[in-house]
Amino acid sequence: MYADYAYLIVALPVVAFLLCLFLGWHLPRGGGFITVLATLGAFIVSMGIFSETYPHEIVHQSMHWFADFNVGILIDPLALVMLLMVSFVVTLIHIYGNGYMNGDPGAARYFAEAALFSASMLGLVYADNLLQLFIFWELVGLCSYLLIGFWYRKPSAAAAAKKAFLTTRVGDVLFLAGIILLYNNLASLNIALKPGEYLLQFPVIYANLASIPGDQLTLIALGLLGGAVGKSGQFPLHVWLPDAMEGPTTVSAMIHAATMVTAGVYLVARMFPLFYAAPHGLTAVAAVGAFTALFAATMGLTAFDIKRVLAFSTVSQLGFMMAGLGVGAAVGTFAVGVSIFHLIGHSFFKALLFLCAGSVIHAVNTNDMREMGGVGKYMKWTMYTMLIGSLSLAGFPLFTGFFSKDEIIVIAYEYGTMINFLPYIFLVLAAVLTAIYTFRMWFSVFTGKERSNYGKHESPWVMLGPLVLLAVFAFGFGFAAQEDFYDYLDSNFEHYDVDFVELGVIGGHALEGEHGAAAAEGEHAAAEGEEAAGEGEEAHGEPWYIQILPIIVAIGGILTAALFYWDRIKKFDPSQVTGERDPIRQMLLKGYYQHEILTGWFAETIVYGTALICNVIDIKLVDGWLNWLSAWVMGFAQHVRKVQTGIVQNYVTALVLGVVVLVVVITLAREVGLV
Amino acid sequence: MIPLELYILLASAMFTIGLYGLVTQKNGVKLMMCIELLLNSANINLVAFSAYQPNVNGQVFALFSIALAAAEAGVGFAILIALYRLYGTIDLDNINAMRW
Repeated sequence: MYADYAYLIVALPVVAFLLCLFLGWHLPRGGGFITVLATLGAFIVSMGIFSETYPHEIVHQSMHWFADFNVGILIDPLALVMLLMVSFVVTLIHIYGNGYMNGDPGAARYFAEAALFSASMLGLVYADNLLQLFIFWELVGLCSYLLIGFWYRKPSAAAAAKKAFLTTRVGDVLFLAGIILLYNNLASLNIALKPGEYLLQFPVIYANLASIPGDQLTLIALGLLGGAVGKSGQFPLHVWLPDAMEGPTTVSAMIHAATMVTAGVYLVARMFPLFYAAPHGLTAVAAVGAFTALFAATMGLTAFDIKRVLAFSTVSQLGFMMAGLGVGAAVGTFAVGVSIFHLIGHSFFKALLFLCAGSVIHAVNTNDMREMGGVGKYMKWTMYTMLIGSLSLAGFPLFTGFFSKDEIIVIAYEYGTMINFLPYIFLVLAAVLTAIYTFRMWFSVFTGKERSNYGKHESPWVMLGPLVLLAVFAFGFGFAAQEDFYDYLDSNFEHYDVDFVELGVIGGHALEGEHGAAAAEGEHAAAEGEEAAGEGEEAHGEPWYIQILPIIVAIGGILTAALFYWDRIKKFDPSQVTGERDPIRQMLLKGYYQHEILTGWFAETIVYGTALICNVIDIKLVDGWLNWLSAWVMGFAQHVRKVQTGIVQNYVTALVLGVVVLVVVITLAREVGLV
Repeated sequence: MIPLELYILLASAMFTIGLYGLVTQKNGVKLMMCIELLLNSANINLVAFSAYQPNVNGQVFALFSIALAAAEAGVGFAILIALYRLYGTIDLDNINAMRW
């Protein structure tokens, strides 16, 4: 029954968008309550669908749109967990936003854009075909542009918005190219479509993957990966994410936790069979993810802006998710469950962390951690909720982040034993750094002496309420849901006609080991899917030190940070390790000189230089010959126009002479017999 | 009955006189008169042929032509009067403001 109202999940926030846009000015607090109610409604509908379909059903509705395309709703386990997470987290963020944006003259605009943002993300998640997904994907990009540039009078905000828009656009073009390529390949297969089936629908894509040539699959996979890299802020298109901090903190929380950046990971998870079938597809995903995870973590280590630390940690954690999907080459669909689990857990604790940071900034009125210190004395609730978030992010045992990140590292090890250890090494190093920078942030904000004279008050309850609720999830979601979650997500692709064994052969990584067997079994006997996945679980068989390493890494990282930054047990000072002039520190502070390289060198020298040359060619060559031609024509005309004397007699004479000549010619022709 | 050739000769003479005037004269009014000569020479032809080949169409056509000539003369002289008011002359060689 709830499934009949699935369209409401998008429709409600869209209505909220229109209401806030046109009527928000007349409503208290910019009509923020409308947006909250709309996303809450979306959450309730999602919850209803979940209770109806769990664990073995999916919802699929579709109608014809135009030509070969349709619009439709596809709610399978993968989409459903995303729907639940997005609508839930976004609702909390909107509630918090009601407090945070209170008094801002643009509040109505904020809530309108935020509602549209939520609607686009929800629509993206349950689109049943790639084209529809792409449309919502672009809408998400647009909303992020609007929201990052929310304070558009501030030049840095406007610049950050442009940067985000343009950077993700690079990925989007690749994504579109991938879609077109996929469509062409599918169209050339001449599939006999049943009524109600369309080429770009996911079930149709899954069913026909095996017929597409391998090299084409790789191209498509790389195109889609390009889109995911842009949206999810992976290297080298991650540059926009830290700058996206220019928007209100709630926007950062939305972008970094629930909407936008998760879209890229979701896309790869959604198209996992394609990546799996494409030779080298998953290798590319794993490489990008693992590299980004470490790369961003090192930058998080040196940032002073509390939001930038969190931004780098988002990039890093997204790298974990990507790598988690990438190592699916070794463990099959199990990787989707693991990665999406981290995604969901991450959105809880990252939303929590951002909202806590927002709460701190709201009170302290600065982003710079060097001016904070000892804030915990005045903001008890914020401090403890943020502690939970930080422990979760660092992967402290029993917290959500521990379960999800641990699992990614373990399957990366499995990938290592079969294929390549590099992702594993990168991820473990990144995990150490994650723990260190998270607690560097926490200690230097909440403990120690006050380093400047800042505002000292706790935030109102409309802001603290969501924090507490999110903290509960950031703590408990991991051990409460892990096994069921994996089983549920593992069954995702059993609803479709997709044979992972066959796809694995095309992709050149025939499933080996227990997971392969488990996935294959699950494939052929959908009902036994849970069991099969369960077997896969038990049969891990990694050495104990691999199982325990993530715990050591997390606790070790936290201790290291404590030794440096917690004044009670402080043993070392950061200056003992590194000084102002240390080249490595400088490099990290400057973010690996990306700005210098990308903007200073690449954009200003190479691109601008090329543009100058092109300009000269354009003026001299392209315009040149055209101008020369027209000048010649003008000169010629100057002479010819003298014929038009303007004297009537001349015209008459010419006329008569013409007639005479005609008569003579015709007469002669008749004489000769031509006519 | 007067032979047809004479009519044609008369018409040709009138046409030639008109054409000569048109090419040589510069005065606007004279040009108008020359144009009338041309038109009327054509009318003579129409009427003559119509009379010799019993068919009244030619004469009807001549009437149309006369009406047309009257209208043309009206418009033409109006233009000439406007030109005279503007330039104080109707010597068409001097009226060349729109020439290159």
